[in-house]
Amino acid sequence: MLPVDGIPTPEDIMAKMPPPERLARGPVVMVECFQQIPCDPCTHACPRQAILPMKDINEIPRVDYEKCNGCGQCISVCPGLALFVVDLTYSEEEALVKLPYEFLPLPAEGQVVAGLNRAGEEVCPARVVKVVATEKMDKTAVIWLAVPKNMAMEVRHLKVKPRGTTVICRCEDVTLEEIEHLIKVEGVRTLEEIKRLKRCGMGPCQGRTCLPLIAREIYRLCGTEPDSLAWPTYRPPVIPLKLGVLAGGGSDDAQA
Amino acid sequence: MKREVRFAEIAVVGGGPAGLCAALEAARAGARVVLLDRQDHLGGQLIKQTHRFFGSKSHRASQRGFKIAEALTREVASHPAVEVHTGATVFGFYEDGVLGVEQKGRVFYLKPARVIVATGAAERTLAFPNNDLPGIYGAGAVQTLVNVYGILPGRRVLMVGAGNIGVIVSYQLLQAGMEVAAIVEAAPVIGAYWVHAAKVRRAGVPIYTSHTIKEAYGKREVEGAVIWQLDGDGKPIPGTEKDLAVDTICLSVGLSPLIELLAQAGCRLAYVPELGGHVPLRDENLQTTVPGVYVAGDAAGVEEASAAMMEGALAGLHAAYSLGYGQQDYEARRAAIREQLEALRSGPVGEKIRRGLSKAIIQL
Amino acid sequence: MHRHEVIIIGGGVTGCAIAYNLAARGLRDVAVLERYYLASGATGRCGAGFRHQWGTKTNCLLAKHAIAKLETLAEELDYPGGIDLKQKGYLILAYTPRMVEQFKKNLALQQSLGIDARWLTPEEAKEIVPVLNTEGLLGATYCPKDGHANPFKVTDAYARAAKRLGVKIHTYTEVLDIKVEGSLKTVLTNRGTFQAPVVVNAAGGHAATIGRMVGVDLPIKPERHQILVTEPVEPLLDPMVISFYHHLYCQQTPHGSFVMGLGDPNEPKEYNERSSWQFLVQMAGKIVRLLPPLKNLRVVRQWAGVYDMSPDAQPILCEAPEVPGFFVAAGFSGHGFMIAPMTGQLMAELILGQPTSLPVDMFHLSRFSRGELLIEPSVV
Repeated sequence: MLPVDGIPTPEDIMAKMPPPERLARGPVVMVECFQQIPCDPCTHACPRQAILPMKDINEIPRVDYEKCNGCGQCISVCPGLALFVVDLTYSEEEALVKLPYEFLPLPAEGQVVAGLNRAGEEVCPARVVKVVATEKMDKTAVIWLAVPKNMAMEVRHLKVKPRGTTVICRCEDVTLEEIEHLIKVEGVRTLEEIKRLKRCGMGPCQGRTCLPLIAREIYRLCGTEPDSLAWPTYRPPVIPLKLGVLAGGGSDDAQA
Repeated sequence: MKREVRFAEIAVVGGGPAGLCAALEAARAGARVVLLDRQDHLGGQLIKQTHRFFGSKSHRASQRGFKIAEALTREVASHPAVEVHTGATVFGFYEDGVLGVEQKGRVFYLKPARVIVATGAAERTLAFPNNDLPGIYGAGAVQTLVNVYGILPGRRVLMVGAGNIGVIVSYQLLQAGMEVAAIVEAAPVIGAYWVHAAKVRRAGVPIYTSHTIKEAYGKREVEGAVIWQLDGDGKPIPGTEKDLAVDTICLSVGLSPLIELLAQAGCRLAYVPELGGHVPLRDENLQTTVPGVYVAGDAAGVEEASAAMMEGALAGLHAAYSLGYGQQDYEARRAAIREQLEALRSGPVGEKIRRGLSKAIIQL
Repeated sequence: MHRHEVIIIGGGVTGCAIAYNLAARGLRDVAVLERYYLASGATGRCGAGFRHQWGTKTNCLLAKHAIAKLETLAEELDYPGGIDLKQKGYLILAYTPRMVEQFKKNLALQQSLGIDARWLTPEEAKEIVPVLNTEGLLGATYCPKDGHANPFKVTDAYARAAKRLGVKIHTYTEVLDIKVEGSLKTVLTNRGTFQAPVVVNAAGGHAATIGRMVGVDLPIKPERHQILVTEPVEPLLDPMVISFYHHLYCQQTPHGSFVMGLGDPNEPKEYNERSSWQFLVQMAGKIVRLLPPLKNLRVVRQWAGVYDMSPDAQPILCEAPEVPGFFVAAGFSGHGFMIAPMTGQLMAELILGQPTSLPVDMFHLSRFSRGELLIEPSVV
């Protein structure tokens, strides 16, 4: 219950639900504001005046659902982050939830994040469809999340899962992100260039581990088949050898 | 500083199944062989194979891999024409046909009239978040730890890859007392022989095909892994994640032929996915495009040890023959080895290998 | 068919520097043809050092201006990652009285040109390089502003800046033949035909082959030089160490790995990019005596590159007298990388018919037929 644990009850939610026939027609705002507090920015935010003017600043916002087209411009205005847009018609299996988000880093479009319910529990994976964060929104971004349809009335927050480091080259400590950046942003397409820019394949293993992985990323991101990639030269020595051993005088530990 | 270069008739690089058989075959034909292996003992990957091999009864089938290694090592060691160097790594194949060899802190240079490269293959790895956490191993490394040194890498393992190696190593880990949480395989079907898969499954190990590892997690070491399902295009399906509490992740995602020395020798290479990647082009006798340089075993294309042994024998036989040895028995012996090799590759599971070989074998 | 104002043959540091300098001066309709990938030839294989310490006025000035450009190159070309510049000096070792005499002569010249180079006793040399074995050493010269940079990144920086200005760079494009009809040159490649009134030969070890295509005889011969790199370790060696006596150089890169090479006076004049085991033995033997603690360092790779040797080991920078519009920037003989920023500028000025910012007449091809070789006493 809200006053004791911060979680609205199912009854609380039912009372805020837009009419079912309106929900069936497409995106529409859902105002999850449950308490009379002195606050009215939402009433000035809607270009279509769908959030009705207040006589008393302590009123709970009321919506003319016929006027609302679900644009979501009100979302970033609400200091309580209580406004959401729900679109049950988004696709066959998925619904779209537009929600406010004030944490960094912002998720990337296309990224899969955890969808959280009003109790902060992870209820499903959610795909970020769009991230809207203009200057005017003053750091309250609006995230468009695609969620399974039955989760449209559940998911009200998201958690960006820290992406663990994916190591591609162990010798020189090069990550997948760095390789993706070279390919996607810098336009690099060949193993030779990646080798020279990131030292992949220049370490003691001579690319045995990383080159097949990089070839796979080039294939994944550009469609170049590994057999049409020029492979860097295999140079001696195939194992690291001490200069002292090569010189014939041994090294401090003669077993090299 | 001048260094002396030693001359040799035939050098065999690598003392695994292919190299051992190459050395034996060439020595039996009458040639003098120098066999070099970077490990302290011969046998290559065979020494950690505790399972019985498939293949022909007439050629060591049903024996356990390490027993085969022991038998071959004994034969090689007792043959007067084979000079064995263990702990000896060939680090370069130079323009003048010279092999640079490092052996226990010393370096020497060898110029053989024929070279048989049987360097095997390297384990491939996989890119996924936190793939650098301690507790993530290649299947071959785990097999060495467990079967050679008697050390368990952890208590509960996720095996990635359901080819023969992944499934066999899973089974051996069960035998060693580990729990196998699951085997995941990105392909829609199990790559291993089905009998192997069945014996692991009935020991209680779930096998998830069309699944791959999404990520590993853990603070200082592996505490778990998340797997997920792949659709028909190999793309992961969000929402299908399963969280497995494991302390070990074992990657068995294929092998790449170790062809560095052959590339340095100037052998022409071709990219043949069926054989594991870049392999040297060669003729029916395993001779590459550089005259006198042969390849055998996994370095020629990743295949079963039984085929590696036959390839080694064929390369050893021809290398000796080309030096004038074993002229009388050559045709008969060659026919016998080829017959066995063809039998090993003849069935439905040999189809991929046959397809790969058709791209790698050329007329010289 | 591609039509351009200028075609540059060779995507090494020289070719890319010329392309950038042309574009920066307003001539943007330029194509660079590279047979493999950028810096795949001598540039990407070189020892990567730059030094002020030369024995002729021409070379000292060329180097001084080029190094000044390298110092600010990343900013000039807007290359945010930088070019791995390290300026911790060159230490050039003297082992014979003749070397001492020559080096002191060089120093006097360098100092007269405002270059901060000085003489060091063996003890002073050891202070700068504590790992140095000074046995037999008579002294050394040292210039703190010498150093090295990453040749691939320098080339990449030039190429990217040139591309932003409109230059077209064609990699994996090998020149097969060139036809000259009047002032127009038609360049045939494995990836189509290119035409331009001006063609620049910046093909390094292949320069003589390219010259022959238009009937220009360039006395440039390829010569293999070998080099190796070790695993990375903590900083141990500040300056590049050079010994003409041992024919070697050795430096530690900012990455931590040591890069070292050896000149072999008996190396045959042919195009060979393969490595030899003899180099490994000789290099290891010499460096372990000179810098003994390095014996514990592991070699991870050896490779070879090709110098474009001219008869006097000095570059040829000019327009070919017999083929107007065919320019030559080749014959760098092992020091093309360090002077590339100036080569780029001087060649652009030559091509545009502008006065050159340094004299270049002495680098003309005709010096060989006149017997006016530029003798540089200070080369590995």
